[in-house]
Amino acid sequence: MIELQNVSFSYEGHRALNDISLKIEKGESVSLLGANGTGKSTLLKLLCGIVTPDSGTYAFDGREITQKALKDPKFSKQFHQRIGFVFQNSDTQLFCTNVFDEVAFGPRQMGYDERAVEERVESCLSLLELQDYKDRQPYHLSGGEKKKVAIASVLAMNPEVLVLDEPMNGLDPKTERWLAGFLVELLSSGKTLIVSTHNLELVQEISKRAVLFDSTHAIAADLQTHRLLDDIELLKRVNLVDKYYHRHDDGGHGHYHIHNY
Amino acid sequence: MHIPDNYLSPATCAVLGAAMVPVLGVSIKKVKEEISKAKLPQLGIGAAFSFLTMMFNVPLPGGTTGHAVGGTLIAILLGPYSACLAVSVALLIQALMFGDGGILAFGANAFNMAFVLPFVGYFVYKFIRDRVQSEKGEIIGAAVGSYFGINVAALCAAIEFGLQPLLFKGADGQPLYCPYPLSVSIPAMLIPHLLVAGVVELLFTVFIYAFIRKVSPGMIYEGAKKKSKAVYGLIVALICLTPLGLLATGTAWGEWGMDEIQEVITGGSALNYTPSGMANGFSFSALMPDYSVSGLPDAVGYIASAVVGVALVIIIFKIIAAFKKDAAAKTKA
Amino acid sequence: MPEWLQKNENYMPREDKDTFINKSILSFLALIARIKAQDKKEDRFQANAFFRVLFTLMLVVFVSVSRTFSFIYLVIAYLLLLLCFMPGREIAKILRTGLVMTLFTAIILLPTVFYGNTYSIFIIPVKVLVSIIAVNILSYATRWDQITIALKRFHVPDLMIFILDITLKYIVMLGEFSVEMLYALRLRSVGKNAGKYNALSGVAGTLFLKSRDMAEDMYAAMECRGFTGEYRICQKFRFGLADAAYLLINAGIIYIFIRLY
Repeated sequence: MIELQNVSFSYEGHRALNDISLKIEKGESVSLLGANGTGKSTLLKLLCGIVTPDSGTYAFDGREITQKALKDPKFSKQFHQRIGFVFQNSDTQLFCTNVFDEVAFGPRQMGYDERAVEERVESCLSLLELQDYKDRQPYHLSGGEKKKVAIASVLAMNPEVLVLDEPMNGLDPKTERWLAGFLVELLSSGKTLIVSTHNLELVQEISKRAVLFDSTHAIAADLQTHRLLDDIELLKRVNLVDKYYHRHDDGGHGHYHIHNY
Repeated sequence: MHIPDNYLSPATCAVLGAAMVPVLGVSIKKVKEEISKAKLPQLGIGAAFSFLTMMFNVPLPGGTTGHAVGGTLIAILLGPYSACLAVSVALLIQALMFGDGGILAFGANAFNMAFVLPFVGYFVYKFIRDRVQSEKGEIIGAAVGSYFGINVAALCAAIEFGLQPLLFKGADGQPLYCPYPLSVSIPAMLIPHLLVAGVVELLFTVFIYAFIRKVSPGMIYEGAKKKSKAVYGLIVALICLTPLGLLATGTAWGEWGMDEIQEVITGGSALNYTPSGMANGFSFSALMPDYSVSGLPDAVGYIASAVVGVALVIIIFKIIAAFKKDAAAKTKA
Repeated sequence: MPEWLQKNENYMPREDKDTFINKSILSFLALIARIKAQDKKEDRFQANAFFRVLFTLMLVVFVSVSRTFSFIYLVIAYLLLLLCFMPGREIAKILRTGLVMTLFTAIILLPTVFYGNTYSIFIIPVKVLVSIIAVNILSYATRWDQITIALKRFHVPDLMIFILDITLKYIVMLGEFSVEMLYALRLRSVGKNAGKYNALSGVAGTLFLKSRDMAEDMYAAMECRGFTGEYRICQKFRFGLADAAYLLINAGIIYIFIRLY
């Protein structure tokens, strides 16, 4: 589905991606890990066609994504429909006067008649437990509600690949868990998921595979999630965790967390 | 509508700049009355918003795009006095930091876009809103206000242009700055603004106003509840008086001939300059014959020409090198 | 998971004319890049910003008033000399800005030739070019916080200078916010948009609301730090070799201007 070969990208004179090669199959779920500023967000932007590689190639479903390819409006619109992006800051993604219109924005553009649009919006809203928010203004919702609306508005276009930039950021623990469960459900319905996150506790629930970035903006490891998380020395080396980081494994349900003492 | 330097005489710019001093003074006083002094720095964020509204490309029929100034919108949202200050700051930054719109012409640009535009736009909006007290009234007010605001501002710019050939001429009677008289400058400025820019401004203002009204009506400037009338008179008077002020301060007052005034009044044949130039043609070589520049000692002229030549070579070389380096970096990476 | 979500969309987009999104993105990106570029400018050997602002202003007045081409020619020589000390990329940008405006002016003035007006058709475009180059040399070669501080010596009130600084800072912050929103709009514009003005006003309107919220937050933060509306700017004024040389050159320009007038 997605294939990156030796992709590099610089932003305002700074290297943001360094020789990235990555292959993601249809139906896979991949988490991107790494300290702040290691290039996770840039990579997601590149996958969605917001930026294109300075060197190397990015192919989506066998077709190379370049500036030139994206200049063709038909191709670019189709590409954007197939790969949906949930921004880190939901504020920037919501620009309609009510939640219904926000979610309907995509399907309306795709030429569905108003009745089909309504059906799809209702379906999306109930998936994200937003039925009661239809007439609310997105701007005034809480952080968690905004995130849900943003996800609903992307999901309404029924993309094959869903890219989420730190979706757990700023959510309360309950909503965090709910979202992790929701992503797993999406995965089971055949979607491909690419998620950047700092949440080491939930990452192994979302993805079997994890890609770790280091400070040189290159990939330091691309392993099964539990194996990556077991390699604490590696996590320390890339500055993702400090020396207090450790694991409580009481047999059945192991998890990672941090004590501050 | 950003007037660059050298379209207007420095005297015109000075007069308009001087006119802005009391306007800004009153605005600061009014804003201080409306919000506490400690909140004044917030104006910077208003100015940033005002600056950014000019960056949006507004879709036009046929797939092309245009820019809005947004002066009336900002006046409706923040109040006319805050808008005046915010737009002035935005224009100052454009002139001083971005080299966009002249430095000398800052006074003129501020007069047109930070004073005339938001005040006219806002008071037309308020006039309609006070009389048609409904949502419709407010939207219509915003529409008519923004359309009027930008067109009156364009008219002011046109008058400023049109007065130049009357006021500022060289010894040979040729205009020193904008050469077009009022009979040309007014239609040249107004027709595109009435037909295109005004419509862009109107659509931009109305849609954003409607959005904010729906989402966060509390964010919109309330203003005085009472219907104010004296202010309209003041604004109209100020706008009418400005051209007179320009005439009065023009250094070329004495050079006015009866026929010129008649020409303006009758709108008669424009651009009636000495036709000799066309017959003679103009030779550029006359400007710098034999590498010497008239009026300068030969040596100075020669050195200047040498500097120009060498500098041009260095500059061209540097530009090529810069782009080559970029290309090289790209292929290497 | 609903059925529609489990199958692919097989979507063929329709044509739409929505270049305003990409054009807006480009204007915002150029703006942000311009501000950021001057922000990390290293110190060059150059005169105090106060002198540079003062004499650039003087130069622009002289050029505007001057009626002899000789003076303008000398100024051109001087400005080209200054350009020589700048990086190639900046020179190209300055010249491009200047030449575009000059060409525009020349076209506007073209009809006057037929009335024998040979003076303005030549001299005004040249003057426009010279003024733009002079101002842009100041703008590109000087850090903007230096320019705002220089305004203090022109007796611009401290509070006004503070407001200018805030404006510049928030142009970047709100500009980046706008770009993100426009990206989000582009990614979700997957077909034909019947309400382009609604979309654009959603972006610009949200930007306004965001700016008001930021303004409230900034006021609260400043109040917490004891701000009462008084603001004092401290600056050191050093006079160095560069200042002396700069003053000397400009004394020369004044002398020549008076001689030739």
